[in-house]
Amino acid sequence: MMISRRIFLGTVLAGTMLASAPSWAQETFKVGVINPFSGPTALYGDEVTRGYELAADAVNKEGGILGKQVELIRGNATAPQEGIAAVEQLAGRDNVDVFIGTYLSAVAQAASEAALNYNKLYWDTNALAANLTERGLPNFVRSGPFSQSFADRSAEFITELVAKELGKQPSELKVWIEHEESIYGTSIADRQKEALEKAGVQVVGVGAHNFKAIDLTDSILRARDAKPDVYLNTGYVPDGNLLLRTARDQGFKPAAMVFVGTGDTKETLEAMGEAGVEGLYVVSYPRPDISEEFGPGSSAYLEAYKAKYNAEPLAPQSMAAFVGFKMMAEAVNAAESAEPEAVRAALAEFDKPESSYETGFGVKYNENAQNTRAFPTVVQWQSGKPVTIYPVAAAGENKTVKAAQ
Amino acid sequence: MSSLLNIIVVGLLLGGIYGLVSMGLNLIFGVIRIVNFAQGELVMLGMYGAYVCYLFIGLDPYLSIFIVVPALFLFGVIMQRFILQPLQNEPMMQIFATFGLLLLLQNVVLAVTRGQGYTAPSKLSEFVISVGPLNISVVRLVALVAVTAAALFLSWFVKNTMAGKAIRAVTQDRRAARLMGINVELAFMLTFGAGAALAGLAGTLLAPIYTMSPQIGGNFIMAAFAVVVLGGLGSVWGAYIGGFIIGLIEAFAGYYLDPALKTAIWFLVFIGVLIVKPGGLFGIAGAEEVGLREQN
Amino acid sequence: MSKTDTMSGVTSTRDEGGAVPPGITTFNTELLRIAGIAVALLAVTWVYSGDPFILNIMAQTFLFAAVSLSWNIIGGFGGQFSLGHGVFFAIGAYTTANLYINWQISPWLALIPAAILAALVAVAVSWPTFRLRGPFFSIATIALNEVAFVLANYFGSITGGPRGLTIPFKAGLENMIFTSRFHSVLLMLGFLVVCLIVCAWVFRSRLGYYLQALHLDEDAARATGIRVLQVKLVGMAISAALTGIGGALFAMYLRFIDPPTLLSLPDIGVKFALIALIGGVGTLYGPLAGALLIVPLESQLRAGLSASVPGANLIVLGAILILFALFMKKGIVGLVMQLWDRFGRKSQ
Repeated sequence: MMISRRIFLGTVLAGTMLASAPSWAQETFKVGVINPFSGPTALYGDEVTRGYELAADAVNKEGGILGKQVELIRGNATAPQEGIAAVEQLAGRDNVDVFIGTYLSAVAQAASEAALNYNKLYWDTNALAANLTERGLPNFVRSGPFSQSFADRSAEFITELVAKELGKQPSELKVWIEHEESIYGTSIADRQKEALEKAGVQVVGVGAHNFKAIDLTDSILRARDAKPDVYLNTGYVPDGNLLLRTARDQGFKPAAMVFVGTGDTKETLEAMGEAGVEGLYVVSYPRPDISEEFGPGSSAYLEAYKAKYNAEPLAPQSMAAFVGFKMMAEAVNAAESAEPEAVRAALAEFDKPESSYETGFGVKYNENAQNTRAFPTVVQWQSGKPVTIYPVAAAGENKTVKAAQ
Repeated sequence: MSSLLNIIVVGLLLGGIYGLVSMGLNLIFGVIRIVNFAQGELVMLGMYGAYVCYLFIGLDPYLSIFIVVPALFLFGVIMQRFILQPLQNEPMMQIFATFGLLLLLQNVVLAVTRGQGYTAPSKLSEFVISVGPLNISVVRLVALVAVTAAALFLSWFVKNTMAGKAIRAVTQDRRAARLMGINVELAFMLTFGAGAALAGLAGTLLAPIYTMSPQIGGNFIMAAFAVVVLGGLGSVWGAYIGGFIIGLIEAFAGYYLDPALKTAIWFLVFIGVLIVKPGGLFGIAGAEEVGLREQN
Repeated sequence: MSKTDTMSGVTSTRDEGGAVPPGITTFNTELLRIAGIAVALLAVTWVYSGDPFILNIMAQTFLFAAVSLSWNIIGGFGGQFSLGHGVFFAIGAYTTANLYINWQISPWLALIPAAILAALVAVAVSWPTFRLRGPFFSIATIALNEVAFVLANYFGSITGGPRGLTIPFKAGLENMIFTSRFHSVLLMLGFLVVCLIVCAWVFRSRLGYYLQALHLDEDAARATGIRVLQVKLVGMAISAALTGIGGALFAMYLRFIDPPTLLSLPDIGVKFALIALIGGVGTLYGPLAGALLIVPLESQLRAGLSASVPGANLIVLGAILILFALFMKKGIVGLVMQLWDRFGRKSQ
């Protein structure tokens, strides 16, 4: 029973070609979008997809992909088995040319493997789990930052900027690492601990919590007892807000609070009020308010978003998705094919410095097809606005750090 | 020592929240014997109700009680009349229907809001009472006071009013109650309405504490079931005290052991208590024996 | 196969409690029916063998049908409405994945320890919880599921914790990993047939009658000399063992497992029971009917309705479930029986 994958793929492809022969007369370049469109992360799945939609508009204006206009087809997946079903639907039925996604790492894991069965490219812009690129799947590319980028950026921010703000050497700095306990928070927190300790920072404790928890007073009290200078938390919106509230109620005021991943949206502002978030640092995807020198085109992106959706972007994830989609279009065009082998081979051509894209990303893929020039940025809440402050180039003029509470 | 005291206070305040979300469930589960999976969604509707009142008429969540609670009472009555009553003799299908309702309500709210995390701010939410090392959040204290008041009112109501007596009669033996001239269907409708109204009350009182999401009801429902069963089916004070027990266990396990393990610990304690005392701590002996057996 | 036979295949629910069924269906008759069902399902699979989208849905349908049938042994026949079968499902999945990843033991062999471990855990946790009845038992099993979730997340050395376990792609029959969805569907269909046979055997055995007796009236069953606890435990052990095998197949099909995937209540634990309820709880073929209806429906709704409005697929699914509960109170099998009563009998 040892059929090689290649032979199998041939037969499956032949089979699907026969099954859906008419759709080969397509005029468009079809991109299958795998994201959650129901369940607790539906908002972010939709927000990421908006980034793709805007990118598809932009790409279409410039001639599309492989000379065809781009068409997006959504596939809803909130769990790995649904990821497989979505790939079967989009590849088997709609005959998409490439896949793009994914807000959920577990879905990316299963869906990209299913896409390999069809020999389709799986381009990831937003999933964070490190092992997605480490497993060496031949059809997988990640153009955005991942858990390690978030962890390293937060560690670097603490040792460089926060330490300076507090007038301390990194070795005098005490940090409490808090994280939500699913793969997202855990993988970032593990790496943060490693990076901070390597820089000589004292990690005074690590706490895990469930993002659905009804009460997080215990987590806050444990952290408070450890008397950290910096409270570093990676989580989702509901638990992040509850932690902030509880910290306020319990009089826990570390010299600096750094949130990773969420906390820079109006969801947090509404929950805490202007005074409640003042001074809070958030390590997240680059926001459209970064300087034009750092992220050329970021303000045009913001205008395009507002024009299309009649609202401000809810979360910065969409701009990273926008840039990731453009990178995919460039890679496919450079390869002159949507075949995974061709695209992966073409990745080597890309070598753009940072600040080449709206998010301030550059592009340079490593041997696992991970973009090594995509990083999150850091904002600080200042008078009810999230202001990009780090890296300094992203901050632009007149944007300086305000002392924390 | 001060941290011990602090943890006790944290546990009691949390117990108030648990008690609050359990009161309605206790009524529905205890009297009508419906395992209402959608109870958490009723709490969620209460929270969004408070948000809607805040958004459109600028009402403080505590004032929106006067709109949200009657609205949910009505919603509960309708739900019982048109969905659950036709299934009165099919307890398993009732579970099924409430699960369908859970999906429906969660996702209607998701479709309307896109899933954005809203907060209904209250003027009270920033106030904290500090007594020595203790910090008591006023909004949580209000929840504790409210659940105490609700428990007092409910126990007075079922003991001293005609309607309350009818409810007790129906709980004990539907057939006999019917023979005594009690309109069982009406009693059920009112009870379910009251249970939904209590969920609405819980929702409005919790709105200033939590950032709401369409799925937030699911965070409360398991705890609420545990509280109700632990306290004893249909016992008002059982649910009240059950809430504090779960709250205290959670606070202690979270602080002294590990926040990541706290739910496992109180679930294990819950199962343990249930095995030793299948009727719950304050349940009427043998109430659990009735189980899902048909009653007409 | 006479018409009265068809009747009694599914009537031993509580409605007819003490009534003597008009004819006794034997295990052999059921085997014939199962063979018929298997051939029919195989034919459908064959028809769609070129459409991986449908094949993937079929694989999941057959798997959930099989596990729901297993659930039905204790949940339906025995009336012990467990919502914690996800625990046994997860045990099967983690056992097989660990044995395969760490010791390169073929999943086919790993099915045995997976089933045994699931059954042992089931007996250990059910021993005390079987003291509880009705909804109390259900709630306790939900609690077990929640405990299992926390533990699976916390003790990462076996489960991979929140990172989960990834099973490397090495196609081959001996690895139970197939490049073709068609072969996976055949595997799931095979498992479904095994579950059907076991269920039919239980249903038509002393054990099955005992289970149904204690479902109807536990006290009366005890009074007639049935060792209630022992019967429940045996039923639970068989049910959990098959569920564990189901979990193992699920793990090898997905090749990625983590706590939310295996221990999500709405997607796993509650779903087994829901499928049985839709089909007709406590009937022999109900769970199969339920799975054939609900799993494809769910998949099609997700594929067809998610594009514009978030959650639209689940709004429709929720509404369908409510309507279903209201208008098909006894499940699909119950409805078929009702129609049969109304129209079929007259023509006899």
